[in-house]
Amino acid sequence: MLAATDVMSPLWRGVVTLRVITAAFAIAVIIVHHDGFARPGLGWAALAGIAVWTVFTCLAYSHHVTRRISVIVVDLVVTLTLMGSSALVLSPEQLAEGAGHTPSLTTVWASGPVVAVAVHTGWVAGALFGLAVSVVDIWLRGVFTTNLARDTILLVGTGFVLGLAATAARRASEQLRRSARTEAATAERERLARSVHDSVVQVLARVRARGGALDGEAGELARLAGEQEVALRCLFAATPPGATGERDLAGALQLLAGPRVEVSVPAAAVPLPAADVAELVALVREALANTARHGGPEARSWILVEDLGGEVALTIRDDGPGVDAVLLAGAESAGRMGVSRSIRGRVADLGGTLALGTGPGQGTEWEVRLARLRPPRAAVSAEP
Amino acid sequence: MTRVMVVDDHPIWRAGVARDLVEQGFEVVATAADGAAALRIVPAANPDVVLMDLHFASGGPSGAETTRRLIGSRPDIRVLVLSASGEHADVLAALQAGASGYLMKSASVPELVNAVRRTAEGDAVFTAGLAGLVLGEYRRMALDLRSDAPRLTDRETEVLRQVATGRTARQIAEALVISHRTVENHVQSTLRKLQLHNRVELARYAIEHGLIDR
Repeated sequence: MLAATDVMSPLWRGVVTLRVITAAFAIAVIIVHHDGFARPGLGWAALAGIAVWTVFTCLAYSHHVTRRISVIVVDLVVTLTLMGSSALVLSPEQLAEGAGHTPSLTTVWASGPVVAVAVHTGWVAGALFGLAVSVVDIWLRGVFTTNLARDTILLVGTGFVLGLAATAARRASEQLRRSARTEAATAERERLARSVHDSVVQVLARVRARGGALDGEAGELARLAGEQEVALRCLFAATPPGATGERDLAGALQLLAGPRVEVSVPAAAVPLPAADVAELVALVREALANTARHGGPEARSWILVEDLGGEVALTIRDDGPGVDAVLLAGAESAGRMGVSRSIRGRVADLGGTLALGTGPGQGTEWEVRLARLRPPRAAVSAEP
Repeated sequence: MTRVMVVDDHPIWRAGVARDLVEQGFEVVATAADGAAALRIVPAANPDVVLMDLHFASGGPSGAETTRRLIGSRPDIRVLVLSASGEHADVLAALQAGASGYLMKSASVPELVNAVRRTAEGDAVFTAGLAGLVLGEYRRMALDLRSDAPRLTDRETEVLRQVATGRTARQIAEALVISHRTVENHVQSTLRKLQLHNRVELARYAIEHGLIDR
């Protein structure tokens, strides 16, 4: 609400300024032409009316409480009345549309309610008010000439264009306000995360580190603390999917970090389609489970994520016993190597490539490469 | 005896780490709750190694900024970053500012002790995570065609990838048929190049924006 008022204020200041300038012009025109008036007294009264009404509308349009459609409608009626009074004030010669024609009493001042309603309501009201003023002008002259047609186009056009601009400004400010709110929510989430992180998580880490070497119940408590520490750390590392349907692969994989799993990632997020990220995470889980099954409890795993722009490389290595490649090929064809086949299947579905490196006593290393369908984000140069 | 200073805003953590280090034969000469306090204390405490947290609840200079100022005034001081998870961008900033390495706060006591010892000896502690970060930064810079940023040689890329997937220097040396020392040199030079580039960029930025005279 406040933001919308703020963005409209300059437009309203413009409306007020225009009103004052056109009033000065209308008054000057009346002074210049009053000699030829049929009823000069009424002419002076109209001048006073223009002056008083200008002051009133300027005050009303300067405060957002009084910028009401009812005020603008009254403005239109008063303006049209003053304009219509030209029929009584001006002499028939002055009214006659011709070479040296005299402007109506209100002249350009009559544009006031048109611009006001355009700013307040939009292009439809702006164009309609412009039309209303034009109709009275044409009625005043009794004919429809090129000059009057030009004035009509200008008035209706002004109401239309200004109305569009005002609506666009209002929408932009609404969008800005909404994104500011989202930003504030994200900042708050990060603040909370950081705060929990720097207190609870540290204490848990401390308990785990100190108690890990102890036996019995103390050691068990330390292990439980360690599990909770990892769970909390992972919670913060996970980034929710963005509006683009992409997720950060690096953040998602950090969920898998633990005492026996180390995850190495670049400093920046590695965005990929959310479905691909889910599939890659499932693939890594499978490889880790396989390591735990065949490598024993002491086997460690490392996960490396690399963003090469056009493609993303994901390496999963363990220091387990490894497998003889020839044996592996044999096992696979015999249908006993379920994991290998499953991982191959997932990579094939993603349209990536898979390389497997293994050997007796050398651990197992999977390398998945996945091309980005869309061009990579524009690389930004380092700005210290 | 190695003189260590612990900078962290969490009292339990700070005291715990200090006690672990003392038990392992280090001399903890000072502790500080934030970057500003650390910068004040360092001249008097004169530590060899500073264990640096990245964020301080009290505000003031971040861990990365504190590292930059510390190294700027005392190039002989080694900074080892102790980071919580999910702070990779901040860890990278601290490394570029001159930190010798980083360790997760969840690291075990032996890992911590080993890291402090190696840092004191002047080596960057190249964990898998650090290798991944450094590699990632070179990859990012390589995508920026306009930049005159340093590039990795194929050999350096290969070595960093091996470190990032948990291989030891010995294993890498064996696999690539080079000496153990050569592997170490490759690894250390990748971080040094990054730090040097960062200093050059900072100086250029300062000159372009009129922060210092030409």
